[in-house]
Amino acid sequence: MRPSSVSTSNGQKWLGPLAAAAIALPAIVALGGLAMAGEGFDWSALAHPHIRRVIIFSGLQAFVSTVLSLIVGAALALALARRRDFLGRHLFLALLATTTVLPSIVVVFAIVAIYGRSGVVNEALAAIGIEGGSWLYGLPGILIAHVFLNMPFAARVYLHALDHTPAEHHRLAAELGMRPAAVFRHLDWPRLKGETPGLAALIFLLCFISFAIVLALGGGPDRATLEVAIYDALRGEGDFARAALLAFVQIIIGLVLTLIVVTQQRRPDEDHGLQQTIARADQGSLTLRRFDACIIALAILFLVPPLASLLDGVPVLFTVLSADMAQALTTSLILAACSAVLTTALAYAMARGALHGPRALYGGIAYLALAMPPFAMVAGLYFVLRPLADMMTLGPPLIVFINALMALPFAYRLIEAPLAIAEERHGKLALSLGMKAASRFRLIEWPLLARPLKNAAALAAALSLGDFGVIAFFGGGDLITLPLMLYQQLGAYRMEEAAGTALFLAILVFFFALGALKDRDDAAR
Amino acid sequence: MLRVDKIEVNYPDFVGHYDFTLARGTMAALVGPSGGGKTTLFHALAGFELPTSGTMVFDGIDFTYAAPAERPSAMLFQDHNLLPHLTARQNVALGIEPNLRLSPEQWAIADEALHRVGLGAFGERLPQALSGGQRQRVAIARALVRAKPLLLLDEPFGALDPGLRKEMIALVASLQRERGFTVIMSLHTPHDAIGVADRMVFVADGSVQMNDAPERVLASDAPMIRQFLGR
Repeated sequence: MRPSSVSTSNGQKWLGPLAAAAIALPAIVALGGLAMAGEGFDWSALAHPHIRRVIIFSGLQAFVSTVLSLIVGAALALALARRRDFLGRHLFLALLATTTVLPSIVVVFAIVAIYGRSGVVNEALAAIGIEGGSWLYGLPGILIAHVFLNMPFAARVYLHALDHTPAEHHRLAAELGMRPAAVFRHLDWPRLKGETPGLAALIFLLCFISFAIVLALGGGPDRATLEVAIYDALRGEGDFARAALLAFVQIIIGLVLTLIVVTQQRRPDEDHGLQQTIARADQGSLTLRRFDACIIALAILFLVPPLASLLDGVPVLFTVLSADMAQALTTSLILAACSAVLTTALAYAMARGALHGPRALYGGIAYLALAMPPFAMVAGLYFVLRPLADMMTLGPPLIVFINALMALPFAYRLIEAPLAIAEERHGKLALSLGMKAASRFRLIEWPLLARPLKNAAALAAALSLGDFGVIAFFGGGDLITLPLMLYQQLGAYRMEEAAGTALFLAILVFFFALGALKDRDDAAR
Repeated sequence: MLRVDKIEVNYPDFVGHYDFTLARGTMAALVGPSGGGKTTLFHALAGFELPTSGTMVFDGIDFTYAAPAERPSAMLFQDHNLLPHLTARQNVALGIEPNLRLSPEQWAIADEALHRVGLGAFGERLPQALSGGQRQRVAIARALVRAKPLLLLDEPFGALDPGLRKEMIALVASLQRERGFTVIMSLHTPHDAIGVADRMVFVADGSVQMNDAPERVLASDAPMIRQFLGR
C-alpha cells in the first residue's frame, strides 16, 4: 500500500481549497440570507410591472450597448489594422487603453460634461438658438457611457486578433488578387467571428450588472439595472423581500452569462505567422482608405472630448485638495491596499489549488464575482450579518471583500499561467530536492511570479480606487471614498469641484493600472 | 527564361543583391545558410518586397514591379498556405476564383487538381483534419489550377519526415515534367536535390554565390559552401 505521507506534488494542499472556501462560503451564506429574507414573498411578484420593466430594461440596454460596442469596435479595429502608419496612431492606441481603465463614475462625469444639461454640446446648440434640454438621462446616456467604456475594449481585442493573422495569408491573398471584400470574407471575418462570442458575453454581462453609470444617468426607477433596483430596495425602501427576489433573478442571469463568458474564453493566442508588421492585401483600396479615415475620425470625435473634459479639473486640482478630500483619499487608499492584498493572496492560493486540483472549478470560482454581482451579494450578506453588527462596522470589510472579488477574475488570469509554467519547469526538481514551501516560493516561483503578482495587486488597487458600487450603500458620514465624493458632487451639480475630483481620481487610477496594462500588452506582443 | 538582373532588396538590417538566370522548365534547388537571403529572394520574385533597383524578366516580360497577382509566379510557403475555415476543395478553388463563385466546370478543375496530388477523397476536409503533408499537397493543387509558369516553393516540406519529404519533392518533380513549370524550391537538406533538380542555386550573404549542376555545387571547394555543408 502506498503510504499516505509520501507526496508526489508540492505541499500546501490546503491553500487552494481554503481560498476557494473563503470565496464560495460568503456566496453561499449570501444565498442563504436571500432565501431567508425572501421567506414569505411570493414569486408572483416577478410579474409585478416594475420588476418586469427593470429586467427588460437591464437586458435591453445591455443588448444595445453590446451590439453598438461590437459593431463600432470591429469597424475601428479593421481601420486600425489597415492603417498602420497614420500620424498619432500610437497615441490613439494609448487612448483606447486609457478609456478601458477609466472608473465608471469618472466616465459619468466626462459624459455629463460633454452631453449634459449644461455640457459642451448643449452650449453649442444654444449658441445657434436650439434648446438642448436634458435628453441625456435615461437610455441615451446609459448607451453613450457603456459604448464609451466598452467599444475601445472591443476594438483592442479585435485588433489583436486581426494582427495575429499569419502574414502568409495576406501574401496568399495578394497573390490570388483578392479584392477587399474577399480579404474581409476569407481573412478578417473568421478572426472577428472567433472573438465575438466571448467578447459579446463579457460586454453584455458588464453592462447588465452595470451600477454607477445606470444609477447616475438612468434618471428614473424604471430605467434601472437589477443592481440599481436592488440598491434602491435596500437603501431607499428597506424592502428586503423585494431586494432578495431581484438578487435571485440577478444571480440566475449572472450565472448563465458568466458560464458563457468562461466557456467562450479563448486561450491567449498561440503566436504563429511572422511577428512583423503585416503587409495587408487590401491596403491600397481608395474606398477603404476613405472609409477608414472616416471611422478613425468619428472615433476620435467620440472619445477625445469626454477625455479632454477631465482637463477642466486642472485649474481646480489644487484648490479641491480640501480636508474632506484628504480624508476621502486616505479611506480610498486604505480600502484599495486591503483589497489588493486580499485579491493577490486569493488569486495565488487559487492558482496553487488549480495546479493539482480541479482546474475548471477554481477557474469558475474566480469568476464568481461576475455571477454574483456586488449588490446581489451584499443584499444576502447584509441580511445575515445585520443582527451581529451595525452598518458602520460591516461596511469596510464588506467593501474590501467585494472589491477583491471583482478584481479576482483578472488577477487569477494573470497569476495562473506563470505559476503553471514555474511548476512545469521546476516542480519536479523542487520535489526531488525536498524544498520547503518558503524556499520554493522564493527560488522557483518568485522569479516568474514577481511581475504578475505586482500587476495583479496594482490592478486590484486601481479597480478598488475607482469603484463606485457597494460604497454607495455603506458610504456616508465618515466613510467616504473619492468615487462617492465625485458622485455626490455630480448629484449637486457642483461641476467645477467634480472636475477636480474626477481628474484626481483618474490620475490615481492610471498610476496603478497603466503599468500593469503595459506589462500585459508587452506580454501579448 | 527567368532573368533576375542585378536586383537589390533593402531591409533595415539586410540587403540582398541577386543576379542569375534559369532556363525555362528548369527545376532549381535553392540552398544556403539560414539568414543568407533565400526567403528575401522569394519575396522579391513573388512581389511581397519590391526591389530598389534591377529588373526581373520572365519569357521576355518584365514583372519587376507587377502586383503579386499579376506575376508569372505562384508561391508555396512553409506553413499557413491554407485558410483554416475553408475545406481543401475551397482552398484549391481560391486559385481559380478568390470570391469562390465557381461554375460546375471550374469546380471540376479544382477536383481534378486534388485528384492529381492524391487527395481526391479529401476535398471536404478542413485543413485541421489533414496531416502536414496533405496540407502542402492541397497548396500544390492550388498552384496547379493557377497554371502559373513559375513555381516558388519556400522550404515547403521542411516540417515533414525525411521519407515524406522525398515523396513530396518527387511529386513536385513529376508535376514539373508534366506541365513544364520552371520551379525554384528552397531545400533545407541539399542532398534532397540530387537526382531531382537540374540546377542548384547557392545563396549566402544576400546574394547568389553559385548557380550550377547540383553535383558540381555540392563538390565545390569554395569555403562558404564547405562550411555550409560541414565538410
